[in-house]
Amino acid sequence: MKEIAHVALGRAPYRPVWELQRRLARLRRQGHIPDVLLSLEHEPVITVGRQGGPEHVIAHPKVLARLKVEVVEVERGGDVTYHGPGQLVLYPILDLRGYGRDLRRYVACLEEVMLRTAARFGVEAHRRPGLPGAWQGMKKLGSVGVHVRRWITMHGLALNVDLSPNLFSLIVPCGLHGVEAASLAELAGRPIPLEEARQVALEEFAYVFSADISPLDRGALERWAA
Amino acid sequence: MDITVPLLGDVEQVTLVRWLKRVGDEVQAGEAVAEVEADKAVFVIEAPAAGRLAEELIPEGARVRPGEAIARLEEP
Repeated sequence: MKEIAHVALGRAPYRPVWELQRRLARLRRQGHIPDVLLSLEHEPVITVGRQGGPEHVIAHPKVLARLKVEVVEVERGGDVTYHGPGQLVLYPILDLRGYGRDLRRYVACLEEVMLRTAARFGVEAHRRPGLPGAWQGMKKLGSVGVHVRRWITMHGLALNVDLSPNLFSLIVPCGLHGVEAASLAELAGRPIPLEEARQVALEEFAYVFSADISPLDRGALERWAA
Repeated sequence: MDITVPLLGDVEQVTLVRWLKRVGDEVQAGEAVAEVEADKAVFVIEAPAAGRLAEELIPEGARVRPGEAIARLEEP
């Protein structure tokens, strides 16, 4: 059984966690640390991936400034997305040489984690060919965006657990017109605490990746990354 | 020497999303030269050896298959 060290970061602003991911990915590439999984929710932020254009951020810069939503260009795959409280984010820093060296399979596994998590809350979600993510019809429940160097991953998945879909009106989600954001809570018809979804998602992650996920305390992580 | 897209598993085609080096740039072995993307996953292409980037064979935005060359590297 493979081992993944999990660290819960709680609610965190985007940039410091981005920097932490980059440091962890570098250490993982150098073989100094084992596979790591970060779970968290972000303070509101819009990120633009490598396929994204600033034209997909439709809110006026003044509106974004008033809402204190920063736009950050990042090295992951995909287009524009929104992160914020009520959305579960998982950032695996994994060596894919231990998981079959297959970029497509890795993305499919991240999708599978979201679909299985949704199912545990009675929500049937599915894939859409050519549009990675977790969907229900044209409603998008979860996103994937990954960066891989020397088979070490960073970035990951974001699952809308319980957040206002209105926030997605700041952007054209994934750069696709006609896509509507949805949350697990909305589709399940009941409030879902993020902590509950996080526990379920970690179980499903362990299942999908056939790995043991053991907790690591934040202090140990920070000593690694220092 | 060619710089090629590595085999990425069950991936038939990728898009070259960004050149990180330009023709004429000196690169070290293992240095990132370009990024390709498939299915919302970006994969970094590194220089297999030190040298000078002599020619870019694929423009940004074009599709390329794993195993294909994207650039020529002139070794010192």
